[in-house]
Amino acid sequence: MVFTDREILETVRMVELETLDIRTTTLGISLFDCADPDLESTAEKIYAKVVHQARNLVEIAGSIEADYGVPIVNKRIAVTPIALVAGACGSSDLVPLARALDAAAKEVGVDFIGGFSAYVYKGFTNADHALFDSIPQALAETDHVCSSVALGTTKSGINMDATARFADVVLEAARLTADTGGLGCAKLVCFTNPVEDNPFVAGAHIGIGEPETVLSVGVSGPGAVRSALERLGPKADLLAVAETIKRTAFKITRVGELVGREAARRLGTSFGIVDISLAPTPAIGDSVSDILELMGVERTGAPGTTAALALLTDAVKKGGAMASSSVGGLSGAFIPVSEDEGMINAVKAGALSLAKLEAMTTVCSVGLDMVAVPGDTPASTLMGILADEMAIGMVNNKTTAVRIIPVPGKGPGETVEWGGLLGTAIVQDPGPFHCDVLYRRGGRIPAPIQSYRN
Amino acid sequence: MGKKFITAEDVRRAGGGPIVTDADTVVTPQALQAAQAAGIVIQGPQGAGYREPAPDRGPDAQSALGHLAQLPEPSGLVSTGAGTGVIVTAVGVNRPGILAEITATLFEGGVSVVDISQRTIDQYFHLVLTCELRGEAEFPALKQKLDCLGGKNDYTVRTMHEGVFRFMHRV
Repeated sequence: MVFTDREILETVRMVELETLDIRTTTLGISLFDCADPDLESTAEKIYAKVVHQARNLVEIAGSIEADYGVPIVNKRIAVTPIALVAGACGSSDLVPLARALDAAAKEVGVDFIGGFSAYVYKGFTNADHALFDSIPQALAETDHVCSSVALGTTKSGINMDATARFADVVLEAARLTADTGGLGCAKLVCFTNPVEDNPFVAGAHIGIGEPETVLSVGVSGPGAVRSALERLGPKADLLAVAETIKRTAFKITRVGELVGREAARRLGTSFGIVDISLAPTPAIGDSVSDILELMGVERTGAPGTTAALALLTDAVKKGGAMASSSVGGLSGAFIPVSEDEGMINAVKAGALSLAKLEAMTTVCSVGLDMVAVPGDTPASTLMGILADEMAIGMVNNKTTAVRIIPVPGKGPGETVEWGGLLGTAIVQDPGPFHCDVLYRRGGRIPAPIQSYRN
Repeated sequence: MGKKFITAEDVRRAGGGPIVTDADTVVTPQALQAAQAAGIVIQGPQGAGYREPAPDRGPDAQSALGHLAQLPEPSGLVSTGAGTGVIVTAVGVNRPGILAEITATLFEGGVSVVDISQRTIDQYFHLVLTCELRGEAEFPALKQKLDCLGGKNDYTVRTMHEGVFRFMHRV
């Protein structure tokens, strides 16, 4: 027999009962050749190129899903940061380019298109400046466009002027989408050490070193890891826990590798990376929080949570690294609070505070994700939260991100329902103390020293 | 080398004369509209009307596909011939005729059964069939037919490509 019954039933169980899926197939498209001195022509070229390159993406993903029997949940597009493309046109309003991206996404039928983005970790070009000004309106007007900005890197430090401006952008994006609970901010993220081959939104874009087109895959499966730990039981030691997670992550990633190779082959393009990220959804059992609690913390946020998450993230990376010819992206464990039923419950129970979440981001694969704060949070406080997270990434040489939603009209403890994959959030209290002086100083936090690490 | 894109602005600048495109030129929808409105002809490289070219995936796409073909595949193919390996599993409440229904559908779909295994616990069963899809038969059509078998309070059938199992359980 080629496969044992046990192997076959394990795979079927992972797909059918434990929500193992290909979370996204993301086609990266370089837009450098769309630069034009005329804004309208730039928009035309962007629309034409995205549609031209991605016309078959949804159909091909569907055919792979049908041929292999593995669900491919999302089809997405990542493009060159728009600020790099828009420099030539010199326009101060880049919303038309967001409209072009949105129209192209609708035409080809993808879920999201990421790349309304800029790298400003050392300073602003005129196009970066225009992009920042355009983000709130772009997110309010479009349905599928995601925006990301890089505020810092380990090698360049943190641009605090940009961080303060980004806080204003977040508040304005929330204000313009107040009727949907500030949902525009769910499509907006800032990074330190951005990952330039990230297939997951909201941070999806392709960096300057990427090819003309590239196909990447994001694979998920917190439910499969959760079930494996459930079967392992509470008495196994942490080495056994780590090994179990590694083995499960290996198997999950292998499916991503298979689908990635096949999708690249059928599209006739380069195979980029497999991003093995445990990405929770509000569905019961599809939760990273449940994994942490199975590892032995009473509630996510309790003492021990950061240690458990460190083990989880590392074991996922190790399992994934062996399983794929090219692991990349963010690979690890996501902790988007509103999208994870276990985390929502932990916040409700008072176990998971903003401060504890920040500690967890030192070891998770991204950062503060889908966190709700009061709509009247001052820009200075918001900048402080962003800067803290950027500093964690800068000093620890890791990617960190913030996707935060100041929910208009809501205060601490109140609930906001976004529905769908974005889930439910409890508005968290950033505390009564401010950082106004820090906010007003501006400037840049210099790059950290890389030796003397203690 | 000609223009990679023709935009509405290019059409306006053409001054009424025909526009000749290269083999890989993409004409934007706005340019096509503007040309039609102005009565300007957009020609393909051979003098015929413009047709959208196949996507140019970039200079390294072909070599990348070549590298992809050289990546080792996990061993243990179900099928050694030209067929496609298929794994069919069924679980549900046992009753006479289930195996017959499934194998009849497989037969109609041109599928050869390579291996079969069944376990029954109390009134429940699980069945695993390792199969080979031959000839012109297509996996999606077979899967669709098998998915229709059984039903609520009876049994369910899952059909997956052998590649998923091979990648997951073999290196």
